[in-house]
Amino acid sequence: MDILYSIYEILWFALIVVTGIALIEGCCYYHFRFHDRPWFIPAALAVLPASGAAGCLALGLVAEPVKPFLWLLGSEALIALFFKYVVKGRNTLPYLLLAPAFIGLALLLVYPFVFEIYLSFHDLKLTTIMAWKNTGSLPFVGLRQYADVFTTSPLSEVTFWALLGRTLWWTFINVFFHVAGGFALALLLNNNIRFKGFYRTLLIIPWAMPQVVAVLAMRGEFHSQYGFINIMLVKLAAAWPFLAHLGLGPAQWLSNYPLTTCTLINVWLGIPFMMVVILGGLQSISSSYYDAADIDGASYFQKLRFITLPLIRPVLMPAVTLGTVWTFNNINVIYLVTGQSGGTERADILVSALYKAAFTYNRYSYSAAFAIVIFAMLFFISVFYLKSFDAAKEDR
Amino acid sequence: MAEVKFSNITKKFNENVVLNGLNAEIRDHEFVVIIGPSGCGKTTLLRMLAGLEEITGGEIRIDGVLVNNMHPSKRQIAMVFQDYALYPHMTVEENMSFALRLRKAPKAEIEQRVSEAASILQLTKLLKRMPKQLSGGQRQRVAIGRAIVRKPKAFLFDEPLSNLDAKLREEMRVEIAKLYQRLDATIIYVTHDQVEAMTLASRIMVMNHGVIQQVGAPIEVYRKPANLFVAGFIGSPTMNFIHGRLAAEGGKLYLKNESLSLLIPSFLLSGTAEHDGREVVAGVRPDDVLAGSAAHEPNKKYSEKLEGVLEVSELLGHRENLYLKVGQTRVLATVEAFFNQSPGSGVALRFNYENMHIFDKASTKRIND
Repeated sequence: MDILYSIYEILWFALIVVTGIALIEGCCYYHFRFHDRPWFIPAALAVLPASGAAGCLALGLVAEPVKPFLWLLGSEALIALFFKYVVKGRNTLPYLLLAPAFIGLALLLVYPFVFEIYLSFHDLKLTTIMAWKNTGSLPFVGLRQYADVFTTSPLSEVTFWALLGRTLWWTFINVFFHVAGGFALALLLNNNIRFKGFYRTLLIIPWAMPQVVAVLAMRGEFHSQYGFINIMLVKLAAAWPFLAHLGLGPAQWLSNYPLTTCTLINVWLGIPFMMVVILGGLQSISSSYYDAADIDGASYFQKLRFITLPLIRPVLMPAVTLGTVWTFNNINVIYLVTGQSGGTERADILVSALYKAAFTYNRYSYSAAFAIVIFAMLFFISVFYLKSFDAAKEDR
Repeated sequence: MAEVKFSNITKKFNENVVLNGLNAEIRDHEFVVIIGPSGCGKTTLLRMLAGLEEITGGEIRIDGVLVNNMHPSKRQIAMVFQDYALYPHMTVEENMSFALRLRKAPKAEIEQRVSEAASILQLTKLLKRMPKQLSGGQRQRVAIGRAIVRKPKAFLFDEPLSNLDAKLREEMRVEIAKLYQRLDATIIYVTHDQVEAMTLASRIMVMNHGVIQQVGAPIEVYRKPANLFVAGFIGSPTMNFIHGRLAAEGGKLYLKNESLSLLIPSFLLSGTAEHDGREVVAGVRPDDVLAGSAAHEPNKKYSEKLEGVLEVSELLGHRENLYLKVGQTRVLATVEAFFNQSPGSGVALRFNYENMHIFDKASTKRIND
């Protein structure tokens, strides 16, 4: 019977979604269809906010309907005026088709972002959260949270600036090895070799697996006693004693070298994406350029430098931008490798420190300000990359 | 400059034989056009000469030196590609000087050679431009310029004009002809366009299915096609083919099929009895078919009068194509414009014996002189 109950729940959920979409579409349709009638605004103001507030009350979302009614009345007045004087019933069908997706995105993206900005100018933390719940208001602190981001530590000891330096270093090392490794593998796969499809599939697996599974599996391999890495190191040192003299031996990866471990794992995870992108770029280069370069007398490395690299730049630059943002923001690897049960802070980068500040130390407003600072940094990095990419395209 | 010799060239792609024991010789200062339908192996042959394609069997010699395993850049040839293959991220100047820069030639020499080639091809004003800022014809000139700068022993052109529109193709054809007169180099030029072949070549090499069908001066290939393939491939509009069987009657030879009976005079095909019963194809170009009032007066050089029906006529301006039907045999005649007869009306026609070709149907070889 459990399965029947699950099906019932799914159907119930689907019904809610469909009803929501129907309501949105019906409301939009009303605004499009009747915007030019004399009774349009009075009817809209009388019916929609009242029924919305009644709906909220019926669903148990609020205890008393006055406040939502006033909210809905205000928004409805704006929406109705917008439809009457700006939209005027134009492009009805495209907007009706876009409406569900647009409203879904607004709920999932715009609302959290606005709320985040609101939080960052107020003070929500463990000591004020009950007051917020009871009164619904928070003390306004202006830019204090932003000042705190740069002056206090998000964790117990590491400062923001040390974290920033570590994050930049982590991003650079990772992206560098992603591109270098991806490029090398793509060059190998771009040759006419046997079982090419098989190799390609194998190489894409780390990327295709859920990151949690891949990272936890790799974390196990770095275990000091049972991990593959240490077992191999012990065997290597036993087989060639001079390696042991050079200092090669098992290491306490997770406790002594947490950042190195995270970097190794993340490099392994990130190479396939770059490989796929670069392989696509390589395959789009017409072979006649290589023919011409052969006749011109270019060696393998000269062809690489003068033909391949300039011609894959258009695909490489966006991929590097994305890779930079992803690596800069990569909380998964750091948190899964070091973050559990009072893990070390020595591998934390900005976003993982942000996560800990919010959900270990419960400094919500501080984290909101922190997140906006990180967002601003990434925004400028991306704009800079894309601008330089555009500039490079202009030269062509 | 250079002589090129192909001996017993074989090329296989896996099990697919593209060229099978091909022999050819290209002389110094010669402009040879290799022509054939797509897939006949002409581009493969050129790429093998350039060193871009491996040689399965046989030998290629340039100036007597075996080049089978020589790197393309060491063969002292230059190639102009169908899609130009200009490096898109380099300026015209950089494109033209790339080979010299790789060779670490002195700067002054590079500059001098580039400006010389640019002035030959009128590219001096475009040297700083990127390839994408050029028109198709200009790109083609840059591709040629890149070849000239290297001062090669031989130029290889791989369908260089096929990406251009008709008018530009005509202009570039003349440019290439002028360039040949000026450079006096060995040029090997692959195309499927017979106008390019006829106008540019000192010798034409007609290929089909990886086999050379005929080699000769353009006029020779046109006037005396060696087999049915060459006859049908060279010349536009295509030659008329009349299928039939030779019959010796009363000391005279006739070509007979269900629609017509055509006297084959002895000056066209000598011998009578030995040809009796032979399956043949007679070829006559549309220009060598007299039609209408001109065909009424008898003429020794022409066949006796045949009666045909006009199906369609196409006006080309100064000439007119008449699609005629003699019984079941279709004949195309190209005559002076204007031919004032409407479709469906009867038309008299005669064939010019002097330019008639007789081919054996089984071997497809030419049997008259």
